[in-house]
Amino acid sequence: MNTFAISVEKVIGISLLTLLLLLALGEPVLLGTNGNQQNLKQVLEAPSAQHWLGTDQFGRDMLARISEGLRISLSLAALSVLSSSIIGMLTGVIAAWCRGWVDTTLNFIANTILALPGLVLILLFAALVPGSFIMLYLAISLVLSVEYFRLVRAITLPVVTGPALENSALMGFPKRYLFIMHIWPPIRQDVLSLAAFGASSSIIAMASVGFVYVGLKPPSPELGLMIVELFPYYHEAPWLLAQPIFALFVLVLGFHLLSAKSDKTPRLNKFIFESSSRLSKSNVMERKL
Amino acid sequence: MRKILLQRLLQAVLMAWSVGTLTFVITRSLPGDMAYKIAAGRYGDDAVSTSAANAVAEELGLHRSAFEHYVSWMTDLASLDLGTSLVTGAPIVVELQNQLSYTLVLAGLAILVSALIAFPLGIYSGIRSARKSENSPKSRASLFDKTALAFSTFVRSQPVFCLGLILIFIFALELNWLPVAGSSGFVYTILPVMTLGLSLAAISNRVIRNSTVSAVQSGYFHFAKIKGLSAFEAFKCHAFPNIVTPALAFMGIQLIGLIEGVIMIESLFAWPGIGHGLSHAVFARDITMLQGTALLMGILFVLVNTLVDLSQYALDPRVRENRGYSQ
Amino acid sequence: MSQYIAIDHLSIYAQNTVIVEDLSLNLDQGETLTILGETGAGKSLLAQAIMGDLPPTLRATGKVVVNGIDILRAKRRDYEQFWGRDIVMLPQEPWHALSPMMKIRQQVAEVFQFALGKSKRAARLSADQQLSSLALENDFDKVPSQLSGGMAQRVAFACASATNAPLFLADEPTKGLDAGRKHHIIEQLKQKANDGTLLTITHDVSVAEALGGKCMVLKNGKLVETGDTRKILSSPSSNYTKALIASAPQHWTATTKKAHRFAPLLSVNDLTILRGNHTLFTGLSFSLGEGEIVGLCGDSGSGKTSLGDALLGLLPYQGNIAFHTLLHRYQTLKLYQDPPSSFADHTTLKSLIDDVIKLHKVSKKRADLLSSQLGLNQQLFERSASEVSGGELQRIALLRALLLKPKLLIADEPTSRLDPITSKAITHLLVDQCREENCTVLFISHDRTQLEKVCDRVIDLQTLTTSKAVI
Repeated sequence: MNTFAISVEKVIGISLLTLLLLLALGEPVLLGTNGNQQNLKQVLEAPSAQHWLGTDQFGRDMLARISEGLRISLSLAALSVLSSSIIGMLTGVIAAWCRGWVDTTLNFIANTILALPGLVLILLFAALVPGSFIMLYLAISLVLSVEYFRLVRAITLPVVTGPALENSALMGFPKRYLFIMHIWPPIRQDVLSLAAFGASSSIIAMASVGFVYVGLKPPSPELGLMIVELFPYYHEAPWLLAQPIFALFVLVLGFHLLSAKSDKTPRLNKFIFESSSRLSKSNVMERKL
Repeated sequence: MRKILLQRLLQAVLMAWSVGTLTFVITRSLPGDMAYKIAAGRYGDDAVSTSAANAVAEELGLHRSAFEHYVSWMTDLASLDLGTSLVTGAPIVVELQNQLSYTLVLAGLAILVSALIAFPLGIYSGIRSARKSENSPKSRASLFDKTALAFSTFVRSQPVFCLGLILIFIFALELNWLPVAGSSGFVYTILPVMTLGLSLAAISNRVIRNSTVSAVQSGYFHFAKIKGLSAFEAFKCHAFPNIVTPALAFMGIQLIGLIEGVIMIESLFAWPGIGHGLSHAVFARDITMLQGTALLMGILFVLVNTLVDLSQYALDPRVRENRGYSQ
Repeated sequence: MSQYIAIDHLSIYAQNTVIVEDLSLNLDQGETLTILGETGAGKSLLAQAIMGDLPPTLRATGKVVVNGIDILRAKRRDYEQFWGRDIVMLPQEPWHALSPMMKIRQQVAEVFQFALGKSKRAARLSADQQLSSLALENDFDKVPSQLSGGMAQRVAFACASATNAPLFLADEPTKGLDAGRKHHIIEQLKQKANDGTLLTITHDVSVAEALGGKCMVLKNGKLVETGDTRKILSSPSSNYTKALIASAPQHWTATTKKAHRFAPLLSVNDLTILRGNHTLFTGLSFSLGEGEIVGLCGDSGSGKTSLGDALLGLLPYQGNIAFHTLLHRYQTLKLYQDPPSSFADHTTLKSLIDDVIKLHKVSKKRADLLSSQLGLNQQLFERSASEVSGGELQRIALLRALLLKPKLLIADEPTSRLDPITSKAITHLLVDQCREENCTVLFISHDRTQLEKVCDRVIDLQTLTTSKAVI
């Protein structure tokens, strides 16, 4: 019952994310520099008192841009995780509970979406309306929803057929009670891990499409896009290129640590293994243990 | 056996249908005057004329009714007629053939490299950590195991293109040992293959490590020793098969994930495979190319899934038993 | 005769709590020893100490000498070389002890090959013989997931006895087996006892009775009494041993049966139940009277549970099930085999009980009366389901059911996971309370003796139907 014992990994993960959140939200409040303000007299500058992280090839303030990049990534992650978890959980519980044709139909839809690698699906959506945040959000949420659906359905199915729920149902308890008492608790256990997992997946997905130039369009300071844009200036200003890479790394690492496996959730771990092959990742390394 | 194949065939058909429908929806609903934009992409901005834009629109069937258009799309798809590229004008099938061979080389080498790294690393750290907990459970996990974990976490905590960039900085830009990007010779394969291989191994070595630990601590491994087998014999006959079989299945799943990984890596290293082709097609709005590439990736995806299923069917007797309710 | 096992003041600790306390025993070559006790008595640890196989988290003091080697002080390598050839243990859970991906013939053959150094061909032949002698001649090429519990037990037995090791340990060899299979394994153990030294660990008095020889009774890690099995079983000196012996169903005093005719509650006519494509049974007809306690027995896989579920309307069936009075959904209830899995675990038992009371507006007086009749105290209710013992939880399950004044209670092996003394208590409590409430009980069990002692009538699923039991 002691679910409050938090592992070291989680503490580090939460601290890293809190720091990034402070950077993302604190910069506009405290400094309020415009990240799109070009100043061609001050390009590719090293960090200074005026520009704490230096300036990019157009003389834009890097601190402001990194901060905005983090805001974009974090808000995409939050939105995607929120909507996909709601949709996925609802459909997952409904499929497992109703079974029969409802389950068959929902499974059919899920399998149809799964028939395509996640990133390909996201690229197709990105092609629909180039440079659109909404489109990326929809595509990533769609892919994540299917994963939530599969997990929640897998968790709910044994509960629905299990003795505890059957016992309560025999005793005449209404459906609402059965849900609160039996179905929700096991789902709740995995929610945090899954949310963190979904968050890191969506962040990586967005950075990836940004990196191949089909995500958000310039001058948006999206992290993946910033990396490609600064790449040509590697020799003149390596510190600039390092910044978005480092920010992205810490962001994903933070969510990774937050969703760190615990021995208590073997089912989740197994799921993450299997699902990550299809998840919206641009990359193979997203697969978790 | 037949059931697996039928199931996968159904999945392939579904996939083709969903790709077809999705690309159809995309072409019908692209914003702005997209025929104009595509024409601009094809002939250059200054050479665009209304007639060129009309020709493109005709090619895409934008003048026809949505339903009629959809039906002809699907029939073309059913007869595997993928059309010609809107940008280069070459038949899609030919373009894809060229790209596919490049991608397969990359993917094959990457999975090989990852296996070479992951198996020794995973099995060794598994044995070490199991032995450590056997002798003194309270003590810290084996140092070797911890290092392997740190390596895996580092590699996994970044998008694959960041890892590629880091390798480029070190080996191409600083040390100048290897070329940054390109595809004309063996040296060009080293960096992309290493990037993909490392990123795959970062995960699979932990999977192998975990199944090693659970095999070594299992009841059957223990009973094998009680039956009178030496520790080595017990490991060889009982632990090893139970480590390798799930590991192979997992690497199969990784191979599927590799389809996504190649999109990034091919773009980064300018490797002319299907992933590179796909991101270019999206960028240039080459709709037919986009459709063809997505279709090919989907087919690869289903194909690899089928191969994984079949290999498990061959290797693991339990799968043969329980086929009924898998998936 | 040489002393084969000599244990001298052995104590085993987990951190600072004692699990096995100051135990001494001597076993000579050729002797048979049965260690008798309930869960938590430390029996299995004793066996592991003899094997030199104690979990590393535990600390042991004293001396354990087996075959001349001081196990607690020797290097692991020194006694591991005796495993198989000189000392062997039949594991408690045979399914987990068999390699999931290897054919059973190979699992037996490798013992001959590696432990006895036979050639591959010879090893295979010996394995075939060994398996055939255990009636597994049609199953050589199966893997463990294709075996039933009884078959897995026999394969493990074939592996363990391949080397004819002079010392044979058996850890709960009859756990979870049907009466017929239990008899079978006891016969095999007797054979072992004749050939060498046998040490058996069990909670089942009848196993000790059948094996004879010496006997040790353990309780909470302490020795209760020791001596000749027959003597201990016929004239036990301690109260615990007496209770343990009395808890075996064959020693229960039969309850008075109601012979009068019952008003009919339900009739089952020509019932057929399918599971997947497989027919569990067909053409089943019987009836239950109001307030009647009816036992239902049959081997595992014969469809006992499915029959109960069909009566509760939880399973589809063909045929006719007719209730003679109109009953509410909540008046037909079920007691589960595994109490913890039938409770929500994230909340206190009190809230689970209160939910039932609130939902059906049960009077406080009745609730208190019932819980005192069932010997439950309120403090227990503050815990969650996983924090009380199986016996306590089964009582609470019974309480929750009885609060609703059920007319039909399906008790699906409610005591099979409990220790014998608790099992006896729960069985009697269940039967007595339901009689008082005039609630019909269908008591499902694989132990016919148990049913015959307490039920008004016993139905045997196998003789009643034309069922084909699934093994």
